Amino acid sequence: MQAIINGIMLGGFYAAMMLGFSVIWGVMGVINLAHGEFVMVGAYLTWLMSDGAGIDPFVAILLVFPIMFVFGYVLQRVLINRIVDRPHLVALLVTFGLSIIMANAVKLRYTATPRLTDTALSGVWSPYGGVTIPRTKTGILVVALLIMAGLYLFLHRTKLGKSIRAAAQNKQAARIVGIDVNKIYAITFGICIAITGVAGALISSTQAVFPFMGPPLTLRAFTITALAGLGSIPGALMGGITLGLVESFIGIYVEGIGTNLAIVASFALLWVILVTRPQGLFGGLRPAEEPQPL
Amino acid sequence: MNGDPLLEVRDVYAGYLDFDILRGTNLVVHPGEIVCVIGPNGAGKSTVFRAVYGLLKVRKGQVLFNGEEITNLTPQQVLRSGIAIVPQLRSVFPQMTVYENLEMGMFVESNKARVRERIGVVLDLFPRLAERTTQQVHTMSGGEQRMLEIGRALLLEPKLLMMDEPSAGLAPSITRQIFDHVRRLNDEIGLTILMIEQNARQGLETSDRGYVLELGQNSFEGTGQELIENPEVRRAFLGGR
Repeated sequence: MQAIINGIMLGGFYAAMMLGFSVIWGVMGVINLAHGEFVMVGAYLTWLMSDGAGIDPFVAILLVFPIMFVFGYVLQRVLINRIVDRPHLVALLVTFGLSIIMANAVKLRYTATPRLTDTALSGVWSPYGGVTIPRTKTGILVVALLIMAGLYLFLHRTKLGKSIRAAAQNKQAARIVGIDVNKIYAITFGICIAITGVAGALISSTQAVFPFMGPPLTLRAFTITALAGLGSIPGALMGGITLGLVESFIGIYVEGIGTNLAIVASFALLWVILVTRPQGLFGGLRPAEEPQPL
Repeated sequence: MNGDPLLEVRDVYAGYLDFDILRGTNLVVHPGEIVCVIGPNGAGKSTVFRAVYGLLKVRKGQVLFNGEEITNLTPQQVLRSGIAIVPQLRSVFPQMTVYENLEMGMFVESNKARVRERIGVVLDLFPRLAERTTQQVHTMSGGEQRMLEIGRALLLEPKLLMMDEPSAGLAPSITRQIFDHVRRLNDEIGLTILMIEQNARQGLETSDRGYVLELGQNSFEGTGQELIENPEVRRAFLGGR
């Protein structure tokens, strides 16, 4: 029972954490290997606000979102826009380099000392039995679900959101109807990075924040994307919870492995999915067949 | 024909890298006409299209629309000047509904009431689409998707509709339906159409006038019927007989 609760809470966080990765890939075809580093930067921003100005991490989200949006928007305009439409290898190299730069820049400025933020939401509920429900993680789950619902409504109900889906599904057709695809890409990147940064804010009070926390998160984003299908939000939730449950069960029930090695589960899961269902379990933003150029 | 031409392509040179596919192409479309461009593969039919629509740089010559020069404008500018395009390859958004696709066709219009009004008008012209506004587009047939592309192109009330091989990838009977519909749009709302067709006979039968494009230059010009009856055109493009 405890494993299930932990798994669902972890999974909710993973789902919100990986959405940006999946949507960026789905919309502009860029695999962002620096994804985990954006989580890290969001976490550091939160720590700075919490440590310096006493802002609760859950309140800091309101500031982290716009700051990370601007960061993402500008980064797309000056850097990522140059690698859209190039072979995957170019995007992989550039974002990998970006991840190294980001991690080391943060290390230079703030050292590698692990940080943690405090939230007023700490403590646990123990409704019955030996089961405990940590309040912070409940808060994280709630915010994660709100983010997912918000993104879903944005993509399906607003004109801007619909034009993002349109650009993802058929870029040439989007140009024909007058959508400025480059601008859409920059906005998409900004929103995705903002969500990713918020995920960093969420994690900052339950996990140590340090410069090199990114790569395992990127790996999980990869795994869940494979589970979920590109840009699928319901898929992200299911995929995130699946991975959360797998990690949590392995952590609790497999003797001598512990949570550090739980990440092996990501690899194993990724391998199994890629072999058996390479298109993902839930479909997504992309059509079954790639649209061809005009 | 009567009056000033709507579209005029004057002695245009355009191509890829430094190789010109179009070498002095001339083309005129008058208001209310259906004009069809036929020609063998590689003659530059689609290149004409791309050059007019600003997807390809015109190196020499002029493109005039409604008496104004539109040479080398961006596709967005061409769209605003009143030319809509239906490209050869699928240009629908497959995982959106018919209605969402139409909304996207009105992307450049910010007045919501006007968007609803125009979508209503287009749905009246295409009853098949009106029946399935909430259907996901990837579940519809090729012919229905083509109709949606044409309908979407009409949303912004273009003065000229350009279609690149509307019959591409469609069964002959479906092609017939598409051409009939195009003809009806021309009769009912006086839509001016420039199309490029591989399917020369059906294309010319639907059209008022036609051009034959060979090696980037026009070799024949005439009414649809004249071209169908021209022995040389018959031998080259209409399968002899």
